[in-house]
Amino acid sequence: MKTLHKDALKGVAGCVALAVMIFVLTLIAMKLGSISITYRELFDGLFVAYDKRVATIYDLRFPRIIVALLGGAALSCSGLLFQAVLRNPLADPGIIGISGGAALTASVVSALFPMLYFSVPLFAFLGGLAAFALIYSLAWKGSLDPVRIILVGIAVAAVFTGAGEILGGMTNRTGVSVSVSGLAQLVWSDVKMMAVYSIIGIVLALLLAPACNLLALDDKTIRGLGRQVDHLRLGISVAAVLLVSGVTAVIGVVGFLALIVPHMARRIVGSDHRILVPFCVLLGGFVLLLADTLGRCIAPPNEISASVIMSVVGGPFFIILLKRGDRHGKR
Amino acid sequence: MVSVEHLTFSYGGPPVLSGLSLELREGAITTLLGANGCGKTTLLQLLTKNLKPNGGTIRLEGANLEDISLKEFARRAAIVHQKNTAPEDLTVERLVSYGRLPYTSMFRSRLDRENQEQVERALALTDLTELRERRVGTLSGGQRQRAFIAMALAQNTKLLFLDEPTTFLDVRYQVEILRLVERLNREQGITIVMVLHDINQALAYSDEVVGLRDGRVSLQGAPETVINTESIRELYGIELPVCHADGRLCVMAV
Repeated sequence: MKTLHKDALKGVAGCVALAVMIFVLTLIAMKLGSISITYRELFDGLFVAYDKRVATIYDLRFPRIIVALLGGAALSCSGLLFQAVLRNPLADPGIIGISGGAALTASVVSALFPMLYFSVPLFAFLGGLAAFALIYSLAWKGSLDPVRIILVGIAVAAVFTGAGEILGGMTNRTGVSVSVSGLAQLVWSDVKMMAVYSIIGIVLALLLAPACNLLALDDKTIRGLGRQVDHLRLGISVAAVLLVSGVTAVIGVVGFLALIVPHMARRIVGSDHRILVPFCVLLGGFVLLLADTLGRCIAPPNEISASVIMSVVGGPFFIILLKRGDRHGKR
Repeated sequence: MVSVEHLTFSYGGPPVLSGLSLELREGAITTLLGANGCGKTTLLQLLTKNLKPNGGTIRLEGANLEDISLKEFARRAAIVHQKNTAPEDLTVERLVSYGRLPYTSMFRSRLDRENQEQVERALALTDLTELRERRVGTLSGGQRQRAFIAMALAQNTKLLFLDEPTTFLDVRYQVEILRLVERLNREQGITIVMVLHDINQALAYSDEVVGLRDGRVSLQGAPETVINTESIRELYGIELPVCHADGRLCVMAV
C-alpha cells in the first residue's frame, strides 16, 4: 500500500501544483496584450463598474484563454487515450489522421450548411469516428501492428489534409480553417460550444481510466480476466475521438500537443491512468495556454500561432525527453 | 474436469486440429507435448476461449465452453501466458489484484476484505508477500513470472493453464516455477494443464502427459507408461535414448 499511496500523493501534489500554475498563467494572460491594464482596473471593470477597455478584454481575451485551456486539456487527454488504446507511444490524433477527418467534415459542413454552426463539432465527431474506423480497419491484421497503424494513419492524414486544402481553395470562408490553428478571433459562443464537448469527453476519460490501465496488459490476459477487450477499446476510442473533434471544430488542428503532453505526464506521475488522466488534462491546458500567450507577446502586434510555438518548442523538448531515457513511465 | 470431443480448428489454411478428443483429469498435472506446430498452443488457446473451434465440443465440468461467459470462465479457470506485458511502474500487489476482476467491478479502486484476502493468499502462495511493494520493472525474470502466476491464483480457480511458463527463464528460475506449480497442485488441489518445451521437465513434473501429432492425440498417460524411444520418435520424428537416472525417467535430448 505504501508505494501506491506515494504514487497517489505525488499525483495529487502534481495536480495541485499545475492548478496553481494555470491560475497564475491565466492572470498573466489576462493582462498581456495590446490593451494595457492593471489588475485593479481589470477587477473593477469586471465586478464593479463598466469599463470599455475591460469589456473589450472580456469579449476578446477571455474566450481565447478559456478555449486554449479547454482545448489543450481535451487534446492531450485525447492523445493519452489514443496511446492507451493503440498501445502506441506515437499515437497522436493529428499524426494518425483523426484530427484531419474531423477538420475536413467540420469545414465541409460549415461551408455548405452555415446554419448548422452549433452542430459542427457533432459532424466533426462523426468525421473523426469515420477516420478512426478507416484507420483501424486498414491497420488491423488479426492484431494491431504498431508500425502499421502509424503508416496507415499518416497516409490517411495526408489525404484529409490535401482534401481540406482543395476545399479551402474553393471556398473563401474563414470560419473553420483546416490547417492553421485558430485561437485568434474567438467569441463566447465558441467557448460554450467547446466546453460542452470537452467536458463530456474529459468526464468520460476520467471514468475510463481503469479501462486504460487494463489495456496496458496483453489482450489475452485481459480476456483471461473475463473482460471483452473490444468493448474496452471501443469505449476509449469513442471518448478519444469526441475529445479531439470538439477541439478541432473550433480551433482547427493543433499538432504535437496530444503527442507530447501525455509523454511528459507519464514521466512525471507514472503510468496509472487514474492519476494520468487528470494530470494530463491540467498539463495540456497549461501548455496550450502558455504557447498561445507566448505567441501573442513574442513579436507584437504580430501573432505567432500556438501550433507553431508547439512545434518549435515542443519538438526539441520532446527529443530531450526521449534522450534522457528515464526508465520511469516507459511502457 | 475438461473433456474435448472431435475438436477441429484451422486458422484458415490446413487444419491444425482434426477431430481431437481428450479427457483432462481433475487434480492432476497434465502436460501437452509435441513438436513445433503440432497444435499444442492452439489447443490451449481453444481450451481457454481465446480461439473458437470450427467443430467439436469442449466441456468444462460438464458445461459447454461456448455457453460459459468470459467472466464466468475467468472464475473457473485461470491462464498464465508465455509472454506477459505490464507497465514497468505497476506494483506487484496492483498486478495481482487484477486477478480479482472476474469478481469485482473495474471501477472500484479499493478491494473489499474478501477480495483483498484472496490477493494476500495469492501473494503468500508465490512467496511475493515481501515483494508486494516492488514495481514490476524491478523484478527478476523468475519473480516476474511468479507475479503473473499470482495474478492467476488470485482468480481462485480450480483449474490453471500455463503456456510454456518457463521458456524465457534461466534453468534455476525454471525449476523454481515448476516446483511452485507442483506445490500448487499438491497443496491447493489445483488442476494444472500446461505446455512445456523441455521434455524432461515435463516427465519429472507431470502426472500425465498428452502427446499431440498431426492435430490429434497420439499418446496419453503417466510418463512412465507412455514415454519410450518409439513414442518419442513418433512425436518428434527423432531417435533418442530413454533411460532412468536417479530413478527418474529421462530422455537424452542430445
